[in-house]
Amino acid sequence: MLPSSQLSKNQIDRLGARLRKGDISDDDLRLLDSYRRSFSEGYEDVVSRIRDELGLEPTGRPAKSTTSIIEKLRRESVRLSQMQDIAGCRLTAADIVEQNDIASRLGSVFEKVTIVDRREHPSHGYRAVHVIVGFRGKLIEIQIRTSFQHLWAELSEKFSDMVNPGIKYGSGDNEIVTSLARTSRLIALVETLEKQLVDDKLLGEVEEELSKAKQLLLELLEETRENIPGARGD
Amino acid sequence: MIFLIEYDRTIGRIVTLETFQDSEFQRAEDSRLELELSLNQQGVEREVVLLEAATEDALRKTHRRYFEDLSELTSAPAH
Repeated sequence: MLPSSQLSKNQIDRLGARLRKGDISDDDLRLLDSYRRSFSEGYEDVVSRIRDELGLEPTGRPAKSTTSIIEKLRRESVRLSQMQDIAGCRLTAADIVEQNDIASRLGSVFEKVTIVDRREHPSHGYRAVHVIVGFRGKLIEIQIRTSFQHLWAELSEKFSDMVNPGIKYGSGDNEIVTSLARTSRLIALVETLEKQLVDDKLLGEVEEELSKAKQLLLELLEETRENIPGARGD
Repeated sequence: MIFLIEYDRTIGRIVTLETFQDSEFQRAEDSRLELELSLNQQGVEREVVLLEAATEDALRKTHRRYFEDLSELTSAPAH
């Protein structure tokens, strides 16, 4: 295994170009492995500080899978050395009030932080808050999702696995893409309403109605699956 | 705990799942490389991913896609 510290930016990007083309050699896999391992120190630092300083329990992904790296290289013009999500972790929150709170607390724990709010700018319906932390020249991505944003993302991924890989990027199957987009907008609406009610201290008065709305949302997601041929999972 | 997952996207199911203690991080990374090389030599396309969580239950909540089919994903409440 090549020590990761010996990898130059040029070597990394040339590797990325070969991965993009396909026909990957064992040496390429070894080189990619070395590159991914160079994120370990930053990853471990970020995850342990989230645990120790914030008392939260993230699920970590020390390195993006080869499959996902290759797909991203083919889909976007990004170079391998520029990818921001090679290593990272995920946190789930009950609602957007808690999501905002976690993002804010992360901002106070880490020095070099970039917050990407995908609720304001969803990516093909994907909504979440991503906090990118810099550690000795490496970037570590922390995903914060509410329960509903998380369920939506998992469904979108699963449809992409089982039906068409383009679905999570807004292509491949119009019916599924349209249903997911509609559901994402509905989730945004319910969550924004919920936050407004919390801000106005009115949540207690309409908690039952809000709970019913969320249940309806879950039923809608189930219907999405049931109404789409080839996506029933049977 | 560390989890090494070999996942077949076409059928949406885990093929192999290996667990490691937190102290075995490097061994888990070595196993990931070994598995990727083996699959590459066989010409088999699988997603191989290393994940870390306090427990398998926690992992099943944050990475449901690997463990549940579409039916389970949509019928179970959001975590």
